[in-house]
Amino acid sequence: MTDPAIIIFLTGGLFLGWSLGANDAANVFGTAVGSRMVRFTTAALICGIFVILGAIISGTGTSLTLGKLGAVNALGGSFMAALAAGLTVYWMTKFGLPVSTSQAIIGSIIGWNLFSDSYTDLSSLLKILSTWVVCPLLSALIAALLFTLAKSFVRKVSIGLIRLDGYTRLALILAGAFGAYSLGANNIANVMGVFVPVAPFTDIQVGSIFRISSIQQLFLLGGLAIAVGVFTYSKRVMMTVGSELITLTPLAAWVAVMAHSIVLFLFASERLEQFLANLSLPTIPLVPVSSSQAVVGAVIGIGIVQGGRELQWQRIYSIVRGWVITPIISLLICIVGLYFLQNVFQQTVKRESQYQLSSGVLEQFRKAGINTDELDTLTGSVFFSSAEVVRAVKAVVPLSSQQGLKVVEYSLQNSLVINAEKLSAIDKHFLSTQQLEALKQLEGEKYKYSWQLGNALAQKSKEWELRGDGLKNKLKDREIKRKLAYLYRLFKEEEK
Amino acid sequence: MNPLSLLFKKQYAVEEKVQRLLRFLEDMAHLYQAAYEAYLEGSIEEFSQRNQELGEIEKKLDELGHQIQMTLLHESLMPNSRDDLLWFLTKLDKVPSSFKHSLGDILLEKPEIPEELHSSMKNMLIHTHLAVQALAHATDSLFSDLRSVRQHVEEVSRQESEVDKIEYKLLQMVFENKKYDLAMQYQLKGILKQIGRVTNLAEDVADAVLILATKHST
Repeated sequence: MTDPAIIIFLTGGLFLGWSLGANDAANVFGTAVGSRMVRFTTAALICGIFVILGAIISGTGTSLTLGKLGAVNALGGSFMAALAAGLTVYWMTKFGLPVSTSQAIIGSIIGWNLFSDSYTDLSSLLKILSTWVVCPLLSALIAALLFTLAKSFVRKVSIGLIRLDGYTRLALILAGAFGAYSLGANNIANVMGVFVPVAPFTDIQVGSIFRISSIQQLFLLGGLAIAVGVFTYSKRVMMTVGSELITLTPLAAWVAVMAHSIVLFLFASERLEQFLANLSLPTIPLVPVSSSQAVVGAVIGIGIVQGGRELQWQRIYSIVRGWVITPIISLLICIVGLYFLQNVFQQTVKRESQYQLSSGVLEQFRKAGINTDELDTLTGSVFFSSAEVVRAVKAVVPLSSQQGLKVVEYSLQNSLVINAEKLSAIDKHFLSTQQLEALKQLEGEKYKYSWQLGNALAQKSKEWELRGDGLKNKLKDREIKRKLAYLYRLFKEEEK
Repeated sequence: MNPLSLLFKKQYAVEEKVQRLLRFLEDMAHLYQAAYEAYLEGSIEEFSQRNQELGEIEKKLDELGHQIQMTLLHESLMPNSRDDLLWFLTKLDKVPSSFKHSLGDILLEKPEIPEELHSSMKNMLIHTHLAVQALAHATDSLFSDLRSVRQHVEEVSRQESEVDKIEYKLLQMVFENKKYDLAMQYQLKGILKQIGRVTNLAEDVADAVLILATKHST
């Protein structure tokens, strides 16, 4: 990483990370620090450590969903998307509205999509938007249940004031650590997700087992930015949240943090997803949700259990209004910023990509359930943006949102060369023996489209085969796709 | 060893000190009753001795109370409940002071207490002792089992109301008896009011205990 431009561009994400640390840490430790149950330094230290751990260990799941919404493909674009989101969060917080990076970054990504004429997958967008409704509702429900249980537990158990206080303090610290981990796992995608497609790092192998991927390095950097935000600016916000929620007893504060953390964890944990899939239960989508929404939902849930009289509906209405305005502001800032960055500062904010339909691409379309009967007329045509190619195909045959995504994926030209030098650089532990063997057999091959490599590998070994439908298959397929994405990055032909 | 005892060492130390403080309070209630009964039976020597013992315990209690307050203030224990506890300890401190003042007045004035009042006064002292004992139990529960605070607080109220009834009956006896001159009547009234004040204070503190228990268990 020698190019100073990369460092400058990454500062956009680091600023967003700092904003997230400064503001969202208050959702985790605000009540505990504000009510002086936990010292700020203790809270900041725990928060910093667990945010980083959550980001590195469990952060990748949600970033995949963000990637589907829009893959910002140039560092300049990623910088502006992150900066726009960071500025929006910073300003909205200045106005006293608890907004979240999740809402802001979604606005930014759509802003970049519009600016670069990239395709926006409506099904992924709807999935994310629906969580903005589900997240506070689920959090309210969990908080209401947890509060009722915790209250009856405290009433039944033989305990005195000092021990209750001590245990509550310990519980708040543990819940805060869990909350910080969940925040890191769920929200790191907001901070660094836009940089994933353009990750400027290479994978690092430590010893024979431990491997730090380029994405994990990116997330570590984001986690550190969040931790700096926690240490430098979150105290004020924590004190504000603590005093604003003055009616919350320590027990209610614990419940709020737990409910918030559970919701964030549910929407971030790949292991939980796998566990549910193994039991043939429906899985929860891995989506970056708003920690502010989760905490507000939890407080409302507790308020309703207590009779709902103390709830300030006017204030809740203004918070919800803030949630709607945030992505719109972020979207506008991003578009204006991208315009200036591209035309005034002469920076690349989108990488020129070519999309071309060929007989092979049409075959892929057919497999994806797209009617290709009348698409022959488009064969050979070159398109210069993902939205353009989808519009062209859509003008001929009807397309669902998911199929639109497939059109983009299969028609994108991405020249790959499988050469010996790069083959030797592959991390032996990342791929299975069979997978590596299959790959080695392709040495010397060249591909015009990424999927061609995927198909060739699947023909060589069953371990590269995507299985399609079914929950368990979905998880295995995701792992294969992750490995393929690594290979596509590795073997991409250098631009001359 | 219980790992929690290592984790909550400071909290457990405060609890232990509060327990000792409550035992001192109960001892004082016992000595107060014993001293008064000795006076009623004419044994001034025993009264003085009991009064002296009570004074010594009060000193220890004061010192212990001060230690607890300092621990709460300086070792940043329980920031959330610290203010509540300091307020409560200040309130509780008034009960031992009322014992001291009540006996101090007797020692100073050495009033002549007619024999016909002795039986009811002894009864009043028993209920006073029981009220303070119930207060000690209520406070003990505040630090060991919040659920049982209410029943002890109700016991304090019951004893206080008994003391009130006896006090009123005694005041009637004092003011309706034409053998006592006005000065004596007012002196006896003052003494009875001092005894009654102990249970009134105990009831006040018990109410504070109940408020704290309710506040912290919901």
